[in-house]
Amino acid sequence: MFDFSIITKWFHTLLTGVMPEWLAIGIECLIVLLFIILLYAILAIALIYAERKICAFFQCRLGPNRVGKWGLLQVFADVLKMLTKEIIKLRQTDLLLHDMAPYFVLTASFLTFACIPWNKGLDILDFNVGVFFFIAISGIGVVGILLAGWASHSKYPLIGAMRSGAQLISYELSIGMTMLTVIMLNGTMQFSEIVQQQADFGWNIVRGHVPAVLAFLIYLVAGNAECNRGPFDLPEAESELTAGYHTEYSGMHFGFFYLAEYLNMFICGAMAATIFLGGWAPIYFPGMDGFNAVMGYIPGFIWFFGKAFFVVFLLMWIRWTFPRLRIDQLLSLEWKYLMPLSMINIILMALVVCFGLTL
Amino acid sequence: MTLDIRTVASSELHNEMMRLKQERHMDFLVNLIGMDWGEEGGLGVIYMLESSKTGETAEIKTSTMDREHPYLQTVSDIWQIANIYEREVYDFYGIIFLNHPDMRRLFLREDWQGFPFRKDDKPEEENPLRMDNEPLADTTKEYFINADGSVGVKENVIFAPDDYVINIGPQHPSTHGVLHMRTRLDGETVTKIDPVLGYIHRGVEKISESLTYPQTLALTDRLDYLSAMQNRHALCMCIEKAIGLEITPRVQYIRTIMDELQRVASHLLYYGALVMDVGALTAFFYTFREREMLLKIFEDNFGGRLIMNYNTIGGVMYDIRPDFAKQVKEFEKALRKRFHEYQDIYSTNIIALNRMVGVGTLSQEQAISFGCAGPTGRACGWHNDVRKRHPYALYDQVEFKEIIREEGDSNARHLNRMDEMLESLNIIDQLIDNIPEGDFQTKRKPIVKLPEGSFYQAVESSRGEFGVFIESKGDKSPYRLHYRSNGLPLIAAMDTACRGEKIADLIAIGGTMDFVIPDIDR
Amino acid sequence: MEEQNYIEGIFRALKTLLVGLKTSIKVFFEKDVTEQYPENRSTLTFSEQNRFCLEMPHNEKNEHKCIACGLCQMACPNDSITVTSEMITTEDGKKKRQLVKYEYNVGQCMFCNLCVRACPHDAIRFNQDFELGVFNKAKLIMQLNHPGSKVEEKTVAPKPVAQVTAPKPVTSAPGQTDKKEE
Repeated sequence: MFDFSIITKWFHTLLTGVMPEWLAIGIECLIVLLFIILLYAILAIALIYAERKICAFFQCRLGPNRVGKWGLLQVFADVLKMLTKEIIKLRQTDLLLHDMAPYFVLTASFLTFACIPWNKGLDILDFNVGVFFFIAISGIGVVGILLAGWASHSKYPLIGAMRSGAQLISYELSIGMTMLTVIMLNGTMQFSEIVQQQADFGWNIVRGHVPAVLAFLIYLVAGNAECNRGPFDLPEAESELTAGYHTEYSGMHFGFFYLAEYLNMFICGAMAATIFLGGWAPIYFPGMDGFNAVMGYIPGFIWFFGKAFFVVFLLMWIRWTFPRLRIDQLLSLEWKYLMPLSMINIILMALVVCFGLTL
Repeated sequence: MTLDIRTVASSELHNEMMRLKQERHMDFLVNLIGMDWGEEGGLGVIYMLESSKTGETAEIKTSTMDREHPYLQTVSDIWQIANIYEREVYDFYGIIFLNHPDMRRLFLREDWQGFPFRKDDKPEEENPLRMDNEPLADTTKEYFINADGSVGVKENVIFAPDDYVINIGPQHPSTHGVLHMRTRLDGETVTKIDPVLGYIHRGVEKISESLTYPQTLALTDRLDYLSAMQNRHALCMCIEKAIGLEITPRVQYIRTIMDELQRVASHLLYYGALVMDVGALTAFFYTFREREMLLKIFEDNFGGRLIMNYNTIGGVMYDIRPDFAKQVKEFEKALRKRFHEYQDIYSTNIIALNRMVGVGTLSQEQAISFGCAGPTGRACGWHNDVRKRHPYALYDQVEFKEIIREEGDSNARHLNRMDEMLESLNIIDQLIDNIPEGDFQTKRKPIVKLPEGSFYQAVESSRGEFGVFIESKGDKSPYRLHYRSNGLPLIAAMDTACRGEKIADLIAIGGTMDFVIPDIDR
Repeated sequence: MEEQNYIEGIFRALKTLLVGLKTSIKVFFEKDVTEQYPENRSTLTFSEQNRFCLEMPHNEKNEHKCIACGLCQMACPNDSITVTSEMITTEDGKKKRQLVKYEYNVGQCMFCNLCVRACPHDAIRFNQDFELGVFNKAKLIMQLNHPGSKVEEKTVAPKPVAQVTAPKPVTSAPGQTDKKEE
């Protein structure tokens, strides 16, 4: 597997050779920032297009097919439209908070995005408590949503925001617990290390067998809820609250919420890929050396994207099949079913790890 | 059928009504029709009652000669639906019902001048197009008689200043049109609903008074557009029976099949709308896929997909096409094949069941008192199918089950409609191969004049008893034409069904009630 | 749902969810049903029962069958037809009514077919042109009689050649003959 850190190290020595270290780091930071923003935008466009097409096929439709070949330019047209729209200032809203809210959501999404290990040696934020950091910053998004609902000075957004607060805080517990099971299995909180172990010893979902599969399923449900996507899209619940917490937003401010929703879905998929499906690690069957060698030639980031989009497809499949839950059912699902289950799961994983029953 | 209406003095009305309810078990107020009989007859009301046990019917009328201050006694304490019916009569005729707790206009704006259904009212003169917002009062008036015989007014509160009231509608994704429900919330829990109606009220009944009978037919499809066939069937039948026109068996067959096809189309749309309200967007497209086939049949044979204008007085507009039976059978096959998909993806789904079972329960008494006929009433165990109670067309010759459930909740209403779809297919099965040859139109005089009298005809539309009441003075056009809307009882029952449930349930209950707004705002 | 025991409930719920997922993925791979309008314009077919726009058929000599009796105008529930006529004196001295202008407002039309049924001469019919969108409201008012057209000379009884309005059966529709008295 190609180690990307060779390139980054070479680039760093190149820069420090001609300039002081602080300037080199500054330039590197700028490049990374550019990279994140670019990737963010590309992924958002790809995801929105994929969602539209996949949703259409689930619904016996064709989806967008008028703008460009197979409707490929439809998303660009929509982004352009959204950029040209006026950002409406409403009377009686708290303007500062109202304008800040989308950036909170976007910032949370950006920061979590930076935690993802794309390839071997290609991590942006990677340190020994990476999982903690990830969970902590993903919580900032709730603040943005609550602010959006509160500052809009409108009744529908307020209900949506309160729902969202209750929902996100509840489901964060399950996410934390499932991640904890993986940490127990791998013994580290560093994302790059987690993936490296999976490359060495096999994917977590195989290695941890029963508890890992359970954790994966719980993660899928909880992650789906974290992204505010159907069947857990109560904060927006368009048939009840018109558009929930972003009812009063227009133009690009709405666009930020929209972007963040799709990227959060991708981040959810990417995290599932990282901690359960081996991240950038290729598929590996013991004993089939020829096959393994061929798989090893496929670059790591392709593996990573493949797995992440597989999970994203699962999430879309779920979204376009089920009806929406009610708020009390949503909370009872978390507190009465997922929470106890993930607690039992932790004990199970502890037993598995203690007695060395991993595969 | 021709109605034999008994006159009761206005002072005796309440006692007489109470007696009928208690002694003869007249618990179903079918119609409450405001009337203006001009200078000689005064303003009045016609009540049509039916017993849900024995099927006995009674028609009562009462009137007052005072056009300035017409007072009548309320019956809203006897039948809950009378509350909203009497508001309608007040709105259109200005009759004030004493002791009615909520004497507000129902359809028209609160600042409307005059009472447009009165024969001497000139609505255009006093009511210019108003560009200001519609005022919505939070209080209402109740009129009562003081001890000395004078009329007193007292103010009742609808919403207190501190109530958290949200406006669901008139622009809302799940109100299926321009319905406005002012909803008081306690957190997520609904504590009161006050429907504000009339955003698309067109005054079909008033317009019809100036149209000839064949012309009135053009408007029926636009009431409950999902029961277009049955609505027009009812009006045609009412006129045919009044003038004594015989219908050929071929027409009877065609009409019965059309009614059932229309019911299937309506329930398919109901399913789509419900699942969309509950958030399962995909299933919405499943039924629309099959409904498209049905609409193609409608389009090919009647020349319209939604507004068909098919029934005429004495027959139907066109003969069916030779491949009609084949088309219908193909559709039937497709629907039966696909039907399990609807059940798999929604009806048996655990999330859907949690959203519907035990939610929005109406008891049988409540359903009857509100007059919620159709699948909604039958979900509460009330046998109210007009096809069984007062068979018309060919319904006494075909075999079919009346789908009854006892639970009265959203799930029962939902399953009732799903089962009715299959039952309708069974009825079509029995008829489709034996359509007799014959004329599709009975010869009649070009000018239709109904004899003097009152006539009523009910059919089972897609969502309950749709009735047509005609009072004729022997002219080319009706003196008074009243449609029994199914939407009005359903919307009136929403408050009862939704109290204590969550907002999300309000939407789901609205979906299972399946009201159509143009039917409420006639 | 409450009475079921906890574990059993979870498995039942899972089963229904999986059934739902199975159904949706099955449809995912089925053929889509979307119709591609306007590409499929040439393959769109409408039966003659479809009513989209009123027209007055003219023969090759630019003659129509309208005698300007105004029955259609009277039958219309929504006043979408205006018939303008004038009285002329023919060569043999008879007074005769002649059509000047037949105006039809498709914007007001309810497509109820009453006018076509009221017409004693089958002079009007509905056609199957369904693309009626225009940018100007004034364009919705159409003049149905062609400029310079005149009424077809009757040689036979007023039961004309054009049987296009609807598939008329052997028994003629009612009011065809005695409609005039209305």
